[in-house]
Amino acid sequence: MMNIAALVNSLRCSLLHIESRLLQVAGLTLDTQLAPALAVNGPSLLPQLDREDEMEEQHNSEQSPGFLDGILWMAAPKKRRTIEINRTRRRADSKLLKVKNNIEPCPECGHLKQKHIMCGFCYAKVCKETALIRQQMKAMEGGPLGAPTVETVVLYEGETPSELDKDKRIVERGRKRPAWFSS
Amino acid sequence: MRLTLQMLISHGRMARRMGLGPQSRINILRNILTGLVRHERIETTTGRADEVRFYAEKLIDYAKKGDTDEKAMKMASFWLTEKDLVPKLFKVLAPRFETQSNGYTRMARIPNRLNLDRAKMAVLEYKGNPFPPLYPVKKETELTLLNQLLKGYREERAQALSTEA
Repeated sequence: MMNIAALVNSLRCSLLHIESRLLQVAGLTLDTQLAPALAVNGPSLLPQLDREDEMEEQHNSEQSPGFLDGILWMAAPKKRRTIEINRTRRRADSKLLKVKNNIEPCPECGHLKQKHIMCGFCYAKVCKETALIRQQMKAMEGGPLGAPTVETVVLYEGETPSELDKDKRIVERGRKRPAWFSS
Repeated sequence: MRLTLQMLISHGRMARRMGLGPQSRINILRNILTGLVRHERIETTTGRADEVRFYAEKLIDYAKKGDTDEKAMKMASFWLTEKDLVPKLFKVLAPRFETQSNGYTRMARIPNRLNLDRAKMAVLEYKGNPFPPLYPVKKETELTLLNQLLKGYREERAQALSTEA
């Protein structure tokens, strides 16, 4: 039913279009300025028909899914990027690796370290020893939440507590005192 | 450190945000501070260590007022979640820093964490702890090459002067 109506409408429009074109050729057209102020609903011989016709045609085509319309204005590359352009983009100064000049050898062990960061080897060495000391402290404390209310001092093999270590908790370590841990 | 004009001007300096909000930040710092008081040397991320440093030193300042002080006890019981550390704070840490007025903590950066995040890590400790020092103290020995050469030079100079005179 709708198709027939659309067909009839389009036929009517085309007939009116032909009429107006003939009138134009004959020189008997009505100017838009002389057109009536009120918009008339129905067939009329005014040139406004042309625009109506085009709008109807546009409407008909736009009634189909709108996403096809979107594809027409999506961004897409126009040309293949040449290898020269690609190279300049990939090898730009901001994308290259930066050279670090703050690396130096540790004076104690000789491993490389950054100037503002502790030597990893020396710190690992200290960590190991502190872990063993903490194990001993845990064994002495017994259970959890047993923090003592006195200072702690670490003594190695063959060392006796001095005058200052009188009222401190003594943690015994069963090895010779390392050279880097002076009391 | 260098006392520059930039240190006096604080334009654009913003407070650090941690965790889910200000309350969460305080809770995180409280846990780290409790760990620091218990173990006296901990390693965390650089940002957290920097934040805890301020609170650690303020806690010592409060502890120095003595455990009879109402405010000091309230502060200590708020900041230390494990209550067996409160006597340790007042009886061990406060007397340790009696002679000093500031600078009770030491912070040093360590190599980045080995996880996927490669976070900047720092070790934070109270000075005077019983563990081995982070930076070993350099002892002057005469047994190094440079010192031996200088000793020889000094002796030669002394000999030459004595023969002249």
